[in-house]
Amino acid sequence: MDSRAPSKTEPEPGSASQQRARSTRLLRLGSQYAAVVLAALIVNFALPRLAPGDPADYLVPPESGSVDDAARQSMLERFDLDGSAWQQFGSYLGNLARGDFGISVRDGRAVSEVVGDRLGWSLLLVGAAVATSTALGVLLGFAAGWRRGSRRDVSLLAGVLAVDALPAFFVGLMLLLVFSVQLEWLPVYGAVSPEALTGWAWIVDVAKRLVMPAVTLTLVGLGSVFVVARSAMISELSEDYVFMARAKGLSDRGVRRHAARNAMIPVSTVALLGFSTLVGAATVVESVFSYPGLGSLAFDAVRARDYPVLQAVFLLLSLIAVAANLLADLLYPVLDPRVRRSGS
Amino acid sequence: MIFRRIPCFALLLALLSFVLAPLATAQDDDEVVVRVGLHAAEKNLNPFIVPQALPLTHDFTMLVYDTLFWSQSRIDPEPWLATGAEASDDFRVWTVSLRDDVVWHDGAPFTAEDVAFTYQYFADDGGPGRYGHHIYDHPVLESATVIDDTTVELRFEDPVSTFMMLPGGDAPILPKHVWEGIEDPRADATSLPVGTGPYVMVEYNPGTSYRLEANPDYFLGPPLVDTLIMPVVRDSQAAFAGLQTGELDFVTRNLPAPLVSRVQDNDELEVITGSRMQSLYLMFNTRKPILREPAVRKAMSMALDLQSIVDIVEGGLGRPGNDTWTHPDSPWAHPAGGHTFDAAAANALLDEAGYPMDGDVRRGPGGAALEFTLLVNAAAPPQIRSGELVAEQLSAIGVDVTVEPLDAPAITAARRPGPDGPPSVEMFIAVFESHAHADPDHLFFFFHTPGRGVGGIFSGYSNPEFDAVLDSALGVSVPEKQVLIGQAQEIFAAEAPAVVLYYPDGRWGYRPGAYDGWISDPGHGVFTKRSFLAPYASGAAPSATPEGEVRAGAGEEGAASADSDDSADSAEPGESAESESDISGDASQDDSQPADSMDDDSTDDGAMTEEDADTDVAETDQAETSGDADSAATAAAEGDGASVQPASDGEDSADDDDGAATVVTTVVVLAVIAAIAAFAVRRRRGQQGTVED
Repeated sequence: MDSRAPSKTEPEPGSASQQRARSTRLLRLGSQYAAVVLAALIVNFALPRLAPGDPADYLVPPESGSVDDAARQSMLERFDLDGSAWQQFGSYLGNLARGDFGISVRDGRAVSEVVGDRLGWSLLLVGAAVATSTALGVLLGFAAGWRRGSRRDVSLLAGVLAVDALPAFFVGLMLLLVFSVQLEWLPVYGAVSPEALTGWAWIVDVAKRLVMPAVTLTLVGLGSVFVVARSAMISELSEDYVFMARAKGLSDRGVRRHAARNAMIPVSTVALLGFSTLVGAATVVESVFSYPGLGSLAFDAVRARDYPVLQAVFLLLSLIAVAANLLADLLYPVLDPRVRRSGS
Repeated sequence: MIFRRIPCFALLLALLSFVLAPLATAQDDDEVVVRVGLHAAEKNLNPFIVPQALPLTHDFTMLVYDTLFWSQSRIDPEPWLATGAEASDDFRVWTVSLRDDVVWHDGAPFTAEDVAFTYQYFADDGGPGRYGHHIYDHPVLESATVIDDTTVELRFEDPVSTFMMLPGGDAPILPKHVWEGIEDPRADATSLPVGTGPYVMVEYNPGTSYRLEANPDYFLGPPLVDTLIMPVVRDSQAAFAGLQTGELDFVTRNLPAPLVSRVQDNDELEVITGSRMQSLYLMFNTRKPILREPAVRKAMSMALDLQSIVDIVEGGLGRPGNDTWTHPDSPWAHPAGGHTFDAAAANALLDEAGYPMDGDVRRGPGGAALEFTLLVNAAAPPQIRSGELVAEQLSAIGVDVTVEPLDAPAITAARRPGPDGPPSVEMFIAVFESHAHADPDHLFFFFHTPGRGVGGIFSGYSNPEFDAVLDSALGVSVPEKQVLIGQAQEIFAAEAPAVVLYYPDGRWGYRPGAYDGWISDPGHGVFTKRSFLAPYASGAAPSATPEGEVRAGAGEEGAASADSDDSADSAEPGESAESESDISGDASQDDSQPADSMDDDSTDDGAMTEEDADTDVAETDQAETSGDADSAATAAAEGDGASVQPASDGEDSADDDDGAATVVTTVVVLAVIAAIAAFAVRRRRGQQGTVED
């Protein structure tokens, strides 16, 4: 979805036509998003079923004694997976409308409960990673873009892209080896200690266990923020207002402040979208650190062909992506007075 | 602006690290707490649900439940919940007498009612399952009758001379008062189990951790470890890192070869070896046109240099496969075993069978080339590497094999017979656990003509002569059965419906400071109930043992187990029972489930997989050389007889390791500092520059 699309074709400000324009715009926006969500539903439903194998193989492994088709069939019935694809899709949509996500094939629990267990940890981990990668990316990106082509720019660019190219599992393992095995500062697994902790001790434990996965994920997300921040800074610096500001003798600090504020606009979009991509990217990080998030849940679900869980996780990821996009769309006019003034 | 805030960030980080610094976890002094890193998530040990964390499922389950006998892997299982069992002359009726001093975790007394109920319940359920199919499939339970409070009569439709092994040494006994009336036993995957076992599960966080407390009323005395805290640590590297840092005291996954010396070198850690009777095998789909011919399969078997496969894939920590299939530690192993590796003979066999060389590949009568696809689990590096080696070695005799790594469910799908024909798979590699080799009827289950057992999903092998021998072996006494199974194994070796590539060694790292009683119970490995029970556990356990007498008597047994542990000895089935608690094999995986190794989720394979991948990384990083693996191998070999390997051999290389790791750390830290400094300087300079401008 092009986040800038809506701003282009707006008519001149004026009460009646503006009203109408706004409502058509909202309508179009709404239908676009509805189409995306519907497409996501279809893909989420179809993808797991396209892979070879099915949940019955997991539940009734062919190895487990003399299993006939009837046993397979009754297993599939339990999970409402015995009908044709259309029937299944129909009942999936129906159940979804009632807020029923089905029962996990792997776990036997309600999918909402299984996903609910993981969602909080995922949001914590990804939230922390988005916050730090945005802060760091902006900091370094602006520093690099300030003087394009300088040694600082080149070395930062090379450095950040090199870090960005490191695979997450490798970075995770390195952190483990250095900070857990060698220095013994940080615990190696999980989101919280299995021992019963309360109060402050619990918070400290959770924070400690968050550090390495969050840092690893931060490095994964850093590159895109850095690149966008850098180029935004560069393009702002070539704007007339900067030329003007310099001409009237504004200090570097002042120029930088003006340019940075404008350059933040594209960065905000990337940061928001980063949220949805990092939830997926967290899969690897979550396996390395045994972090109980959505990524590792999806990974396990794929291996069991756990359709209901896969559908729910994919749907959630799609919705997060759509929501982030929508938020970016809505936030644009708020952040950028030029867009606001030009009509919306 | 933002640039100015760097110091603030630094300050914040410093503060944060200060807060985060103290790591040590406090614990009570008197209580023995052992933290066990599980390699995969299990459910709530509901015995009707497909196992998740193979291969440890059965042993984990048996911490909470008990069986009538222990264990399935022994030729003469020791009475456990039972005090003895008498068979009728035709082995159809077993009268089992039971202990009268056993109490369920919820306080209710254990009686014959529970045993009769359990057997009937498994039989009636008839659903797929690790335990059930040894009760409704073979042998088929006819009735379970309570004679009195401590006696139960189990009547089977078929003769079952090995009842004490299977299902007696395998099926967990369930409390009637809990399960009665539950129609779908699979529905509950979350409530805490009630058993009679040495441990009570007091906490279960799905997918992340378990907490088990000692059962103070256990009939063999309270277990030696008071609390087992068991987090699920999926990543192998993280798990072993946890072992080194002290967060974990035991890790359920096999210690990867490159880590052996490092663990041995750590003063706080030790390595223990044992046998889980694992095997990594190559299976042919014998329903395919060319693979149907025994000569072709046998030729392929003879072209394989199995020793080189163990050496390359496992760094020598394992034994090459026997052509007679069965694990050498199993009571049912063929006394001779061995593998014929003779590429010249293999070539001759193929020439004779009518498959002459045509360029690089042989072709059959119709011009069909000897070209096959070999499926391996993409998540299991040992399978992939073994597959590549098989392909390479077979190309030498003109057989063209393409290795195709797939995810576990895709392989299962390829192995399932379609609506109008045999499965599409041609060859695949998978892993079996002890249960598949200790089961007295394992050959029957896996290789009988499809229709009986589960052969259809494996090789589809069909040989009337082989079937006849196995059928007659079902209903005879144990010694006769061993003879018949030996005959079947000879047919197997001649026709090669499958080839065991190797039997991996079992080895685990643990922290003796936390608990030092681990023993190897062959077929079960060391994470198994006997490791926690005073009569069996090794050496001086940290907590006081209950009755001196029991302990004394038990000492011998424990010692015996430690010794015979590793293997070769268990091959003699005839040995008297008590002393070798060890012959066994465990059950962790059923026949029913063995292939799960393919199902990765559930299994070890997956585990091995990840393990290996991680290991590689570690290896590279810490500049470990292949020499390491060698020294590890040597150490393991030396330690063969005894279960605990002292840190002798690996020392030098381990030192190097440490040195390398320290260097790496130092370099990283220095690099970070240098980068920060450079950045700061440059920034300062940049600012000055701008001012001057």
